[in-house]
Amino acid sequence: MSLKPSFLAPFNEFVAKHYGKDTGKMLIHTGVVGWILSAAAQVMAIVVNDKIPKEQKMYLVPQELADAGVNILSFYAITQSAKSLASNLVKTGKLLPKSICGILESKGLSDKIGKMDFNVFEDAGLSATATKRLESFKSGVDVVATTVGSVLSCNIVTPLVRNEIAANRQKDLVARMHNADTNHSSYVKPGYANTKRPSMYDFTNNSGSLKI
Amino acid sequence: MAITGLNSIRTFTNAASQRVINACPTMTISSGKVNKTLSWIGKHISSPENRLILGVTALMSQPFIDLHNRKVDEDTRKVSAARTVAKIIAGTSTGVAIRYACIKAIDAFTEFPEKITASTKHPCLKTFFTPFEAIKDGLKDLRHYKSALGTLVSLGVMVFTNFLIDAPLTKFLTNKFVDRIHEKDKEKPVQNKEVRNVA
Repeated sequence: MSLKPSFLAPFNEFVAKHYGKDTGKMLIHTGVVGWILSAAAQVMAIVVNDKIPKEQKMYLVPQELADAGVNILSFYAITQSAKSLASNLVKTGKLLPKSICGILESKGLSDKIGKMDFNVFEDAGLSATATKRLESFKSGVDVVATTVGSVLSCNIVTPLVRNEIAANRQKDLVARMHNADTNHSSYVKPGYANTKRPSMYDFTNNSGSLKI
Repeated sequence: MAITGLNSIRTFTNAASQRVINACPTMTISSGKVNKTLSWIGKHISSPENRLILGVTALMSQPFIDLHNRKVDEDTRKVSAARTVAKIIAGTSTGVAIRYACIKAIDAFTEFPEKITASTKHPCLKTFFTPFEAIKDGLKDLRHYKSALGTLVSLGVMVFTNFLIDAPLTKFLTNKFVDRIHEKDKEKPVQNKEVRNVA
């Protein structure tokens, strides 16, 4: 029976080529895309919201973009580093199942273990069964490393950095407003015009950036 | 000029990677159970499970980070932690459900060509997402491919559900939690009074 590929064939092939064997890579790339889409959605929500004055939008949009930058950079840097380290450890033979280690020893390749130019998949002459076993081992190590990296970046580093930035921003905003009140200055920095002090109600009802 | 620059970046990256690898001890996994578990994780853990793990660990860490943020007052700290918990619950539940549903949906429309027979209903639909070329080139297990495609589709879906489900649910849960916090705060002096009266 002859089957015709759908009109989505180029996209399907692209996904199969890049992520068909590597779940760790897929988790990192979709994680980054997720953060970008979250931020884009958040910025769009501000841009199309008629209740927010134009001056405030000029302040809120860059603020949201800065938050997105922190999220994306910390996610990518930490998660990609964790995955690269795990992949390199397996590739160079520093982290292996005992059965593969035995093969390397029997072939006299023990002294090459840990060298960046040594690739256990290509240089050890493994059998098809051993290669398959090592591939599934590497896939597991990659997923564990990616998950640990994303937990570290999303749940520890990003909230700490974001809290620090948000606290400084809030302090700066309150100080500027206090200055404007006491000096009765006619000049108000663009973006601070029509801005009232942040209340608890605003804080509770602002949805902030939601990770998708 | 640009190529020289790229080469020097590559040399620097390789040297840095070599240093990191040298610092790591050689690890041999001799336990059969650990090896099997790692292989199982590689095969079965994908984006819904990853998102669930992120959500659970987020619940165990982020509210405490907010509660210990000394740069804001106590009330803000409590509200911030309540909002964080609400965000995590809403984001994780919809994130896991939508990823899982999209992967299942892709699975239904990604069949190997050899499994399609004359009696198969809607054969074109059954192979709508099948990567024919990749299968010809030797891709035998479509599990990772289906997860990847399902996750990409779910990201598109979640751009909308982020506003339609996550944001209202976060707001609803935050208000519930904040009301609880304020009720508890009101109860505190009353309890002290009662204790004092009893004493």
